[in-house]
Amino acid sequence: MHEAHQASVIFGLDPLWYAGVLFILTYTLIVAERLNRAIVAVSAASLMVVGGVLTQEAAVQGIDFNTIGLLTGMMVIVGVTRKSGVFQFVAIWSTKKVNADPWGILVMLVLVTALLSALLDNVTTVLLIAPVTLLITDELKINAYPYLFAEIFASNIGGTATLIGDPPNIMIGSAVGLSFNDFVINLAPIAIVILLLFLVPLYFIWGRGLETSNERRQKVMNYREADAITDHRLLKQSLFVITIVIIGFIMSHTIGAEPATIALFGAAILLVLDNLPRNIDEQSENVHKSFCEVEWVTIFFFMGLFIVVYGIETVGILEMLAEHVISLTGGDLKVTAMAILWVSAVASAIVDNIPFVATMIPLIESMATDFGGSEQLMPLWWSLALGSCLGGNGSLIGASANLIVAGFAERSGQPIRFLPFMLMAFPLMIASILISTVYVYWRYF
Amino acid sequence: MTATSIMDPNPTVVKPTDLIKTAIGYIMDNRYRNLPVVDDEGHYLGSFGVTCLLKNVLPKAVLMKQGLTSVPFLQQTLADLHNRLRELEDHPVSMCMNTEAMTVSPDTPLVESLLILYHNKDSLPVVDTDSGKLLGVISYWDAGEKILSA
Repeated sequence: MHEAHQASVIFGLDPLWYAGVLFILTYTLIVAERLNRAIVAVSAASLMVVGGVLTQEAAVQGIDFNTIGLLTGMMVIVGVTRKSGVFQFVAIWSTKKVNADPWGILVMLVLVTALLSALLDNVTTVLLIAPVTLLITDELKINAYPYLFAEIFASNIGGTATLIGDPPNIMIGSAVGLSFNDFVINLAPIAIVILLLFLVPLYFIWGRGLETSNERRQKVMNYREADAITDHRLLKQSLFVITIVIIGFIMSHTIGAEPATIALFGAAILLVLDNLPRNIDEQSENVHKSFCEVEWVTIFFFMGLFIVVYGIETVGILEMLAEHVISLTGGDLKVTAMAILWVSAVASAIVDNIPFVATMIPLIESMATDFGGSEQLMPLWWSLALGSCLGGNGSLIGASANLIVAGFAERSGQPIRFLPFMLMAFPLMIASILISTVYVYWRYF
Repeated sequence: MTATSIMDPNPTVVKPTDLIKTAIGYIMDNRYRNLPVVDDEGHYLGSFGVTCLLKNVLPKAVLMKQGLTSVPFLQQTLADLHNRLRELEDHPVSMCMNTEAMTVSPDTPLVESLLILYHNKDSLPVVDTDSGKLLGVISYWDAGEKILSA
């Protein structure tokens, strides 16, 4: 409990009740999706301050600016890079590498989506890959559904593998001080295994039936992927900056820089390189466009949420919950890790994993004393990351990327419906959590 | 002066049940940009135009919201594009009708009508507000002719 930040709550209400009810209300409104989630989070954060649970200074202190900075920096880098056409190039190049064979294309697009999702955010990845997928499936006159379904899974599995792949990882890494390498060493191996195993059921469900004519395959083979690169200068600059940023992430502990610093530094370099040859008027317009690429709705959602969670942490609710969880699991680290893995997975399939993880982080931190120090909590952090990232595959509303792909499917006239998707996706998600269970048990106990 | 002073009161129209190939024929023969679609009683329903043709020869992935913004890598021949169009030719006009096209009422002031025409970039149907019937069409040519002959 952060006694120093506690202020008197309006109307003499009990701070614990006020913050608790406000938190539940926030969650309910986010799940109901009647009001934009950023509006909900920012309003609730304001009420935490106006209501007297937090002072303004305390509220600002509750925001994890490392997460905000990392997200913003990467969004700017990706926003500028995408203008070069490099992502379309990669998608088409990989398609041609398998001679436009329908099953081969599916495998390649799964691999490309997973790789890009590991290095960029999932929403950006599917925004780049889904339209190319629809173009190719339209050309081959084959059903786009298996491809879009597979890309949803690939984006969530790929995002699990790295610190920057998925917002839950960014939040966990920032709160616990885990590096890019920590994530690669601990989560990338299992993410690769799950991704490859995921292709097996996919082959038996759809892969065997994907057929097209040689004539149609030839049309795809005629695509000139090199022409997808619309700005060679920008391409070189973007690849240079992305390489610098990735090296920075890998060496972050050695150079003593936080991920947000590295991402924002990369964004700054790219903006300088991209704008230097332009005159001042063109720069204004171009910089405006680059900053428009930042998803401000997501950024404000995060900031509001951090304040709300800090509010319930301040009044001591999370500490109480942590004690309750420990009493339920009998104070056993193994049982607690498994419980976190499975509850995170199921919860993330049903609700947005960002508020869930934002709540779980301080809750797990409160368990440090019971488990003999924060060093002992590592299995819990990896369980939370695996559960919350992979759980997003459980339903169409499990992750933002899923809804983006569903939007593309709808517009292409091949809609992905909520129930049919869940009937296939939920068991596959459960299978991935079973594999993760074995992995966590084998690796950390 | 109002919209009626520059409109053509007897425009070529198509019915929603007419085949797209028929409408394409009118458009290509007379170099129209778009044609008003009316029912048997003359009620205005929407507009069918050259944009519909372009829309149907282009891949869906470039036209959809958040779709591809450029496709310089695509290599297609005119025959490929014609094949795409052929798939559509025997469908009714209603399938490719723009029901949200701009219209003006007969008492819309002259300059206001011209301003809408300028922004709209398509011929502008003049529709009676009460009955919903098509009264005429203002095209660039009609407007230009009327202004020059004044």
